[in-house]
Amino acid sequence: MKLKDLATLVDAGVIDQATADRIAQYYIDKAGPPQNKMVIVFGIFGALLVGLGTTLILAHNWDELSRSIKTIIAFIPLLAGQILCAYSLMRKSGSTVWREASSTFLVLAIGICLSLISQIYNIPGKVSSFMLTWVLLALPVIYVMRSSTASMLYLAGITFYACEVGYWTRPVSESYAYWGLLLLALPHYYMLYRQRQSSNFFVFHNWFIPLSVITVLGTVATEIVELMFVAYMSLFGLLYLLGLTPVLGDQKIRNNGYLALGSLGTVGLLLGLSFDGFWQHLRTYEFPIQNWILTPEAIAATILTLAALGLLIFQKVRQGRWMMRPVETAFLLFVIIFFIGTVSAWVTVLINILVLGIGILTIREGARQNHFGILNYGLLIVSALIMCRFFDTEISFIVRGLLFVAVGIGFFVANYQMAKRKKQNAV
Amino acid sequence: MTGKLLIPAFILMVIAQWFVPARMILQLENVISGGHEFRFRTAPVDPNDPFRGKYITLSYLNNDIPVEEGVWQNGDAVYVQLKTDSAGFAIISSLSNDEPTDTDAYINAYISYVGWDSIHTAYIQYPFDRYYMEEKKAPVAEQIYNEASRNQEKVTWAVVMVDRGRAVLKDVMIDGVPIRELARKPGTTVE
Repeated sequence: MKLKDLATLVDAGVIDQATADRIAQYYIDKAGPPQNKMVIVFGIFGALLVGLGTTLILAHNWDELSRSIKTIIAFIPLLAGQILCAYSLMRKSGSTVWREASSTFLVLAIGICLSLISQIYNIPGKVSSFMLTWVLLALPVIYVMRSSTASMLYLAGITFYACEVGYWTRPVSESYAYWGLLLLALPHYYMLYRQRQSSNFFVFHNWFIPLSVITVLGTVATEIVELMFVAYMSLFGLLYLLGLTPVLGDQKIRNNGYLALGSLGTVGLLLGLSFDGFWQHLRTYEFPIQNWILTPEAIAATILTLAALGLLIFQKVRQGRWMMRPVETAFLLFVIIFFIGTVSAWVTVLINILVLGIGILTIREGARQNHFGILNYGLLIVSALIMCRFFDTEISFIVRGLLFVAVGIGFFVANYQMAKRKKQNAV
Repeated sequence: MTGKLLIPAFILMVIAQWFVPARMILQLENVISGGHEFRFRTAPVDPNDPFRGKYITLSYLNNDIPVEEGVWQNGDAVYVQLKTDSAGFAIISSLSNDEPTDTDAYINAYISYVGWDSIHTAYIQYPFDRYYMEEKKAPVAEQIYNEASRNQEKVTWAVVMVDRGRAVLKDVMIDGVPIRELARKPGTTVE
């Protein structure tokens, strides 16, 4: 409600002036001290640009300067960042703009200092060890400055570090340090969860954290890569279930990265696996249990499946009634399907049924919540499934054609029905 | 973080952010002042190297040593002990898994690959293959470097300070002249 609406209500005699004043005061108190969002955004971007610009200017590598002068210069941005942070802590402690902008600059200044040192001494070094030093020195900024931008830069940094170690450097190695580093970022996230649920920073974290974990989980794979499909499916299930927990579940879908990524990931992965190619490979694969039971992939898959299962049971007990949500049990069914897939060619049929089930449940969910987005997402899942089957040549053109027509009609009918119902409800 | 803890925490953070880079600098300065100087013969690099820019990419001759079959794998970390040949350039004296105790003249490096022809040979990836220069001069310098490296009569080498595993690349020389000076003169080419 906008405050100017109050005047209209007072004029119309719906509420009296005293009530209107109390309502206005309530919204002013709730909003806290005025923090213009645009100023915060520009403050942070300004700090990012100044930081990156400084990097470029210093990267010019002034040959005429002696080594000691260059070394001193390397510390100037760092010192400036620290002074700005100290100033915002002592003089501007209430200002989000000051806190976030100075922290952003300080985090970048640490990187500038470290990279200038390697430039001055001609050390190409490993990008991974450079990143590790950088993120570890940036970590305290998150907590001392209570800076969410620093936290997001940190998350981006540790994700980059894990990818560098686990995907991009040959020979690849495990990046287990990532999981410890991720844990170190969680107290700040928890603070956002407890105290600032309506802030944009909380929303950004709701996307950054699941995206980071999804990106890095693949680095676990070393020996039996196939098991990573189980690990990923359970991860998506876990994310989806986390997205349904009380505080996150109250967020809009676009603010709930867990729910969106969990659902998209589950459906995407299942669609990919609805082709027989992967399973053909799996069936020819020697799969004696002693070969895989203690591999990192199997351990990751087990931990994630158990975590998701635990959360599923907890949710159901808490709700006290069985209400089937579209994606929440897919990970469990997939574990069974995966092991059927090691021996039987029927597995693709099961996966098709599973995707179809998710699609139909999503459509039902959309209808129940009167939500066009969810309804059409469900219809899209079904169409994507049919689209995938379009590539399987053994299904006749007539059947495929009929399926397409049926889904097309389904889109019209479902949306029309819902629009009609919404209209009726509005009246 | 609020209240009494905030100021000590801030001070600790600042100390850490100064301590780590300062320690890196001190370690490298110690290598430069107290290390052994080696001259590494350099080889021309692929002129199509896409990463040229503000540094020149160096590659090295004499970065190989015969090894026994199966002892080393590609990508293994290794301690490389160095010695000097009759012409005064660095060559590898031995490789080991354990840190040498009888000498300071070794570097931490990686096995680039193990090749086998008639004998097995390990090739070392030295951790000093970049020489940073001013962005305008680096392409000129790289061209000079490559021409000189291909020219049989010119001798190009890198001056590297080595001390207990660490190495700092100090200079790149062409026939005894620092490449920085060659690149400074406009229009310099090497015949």
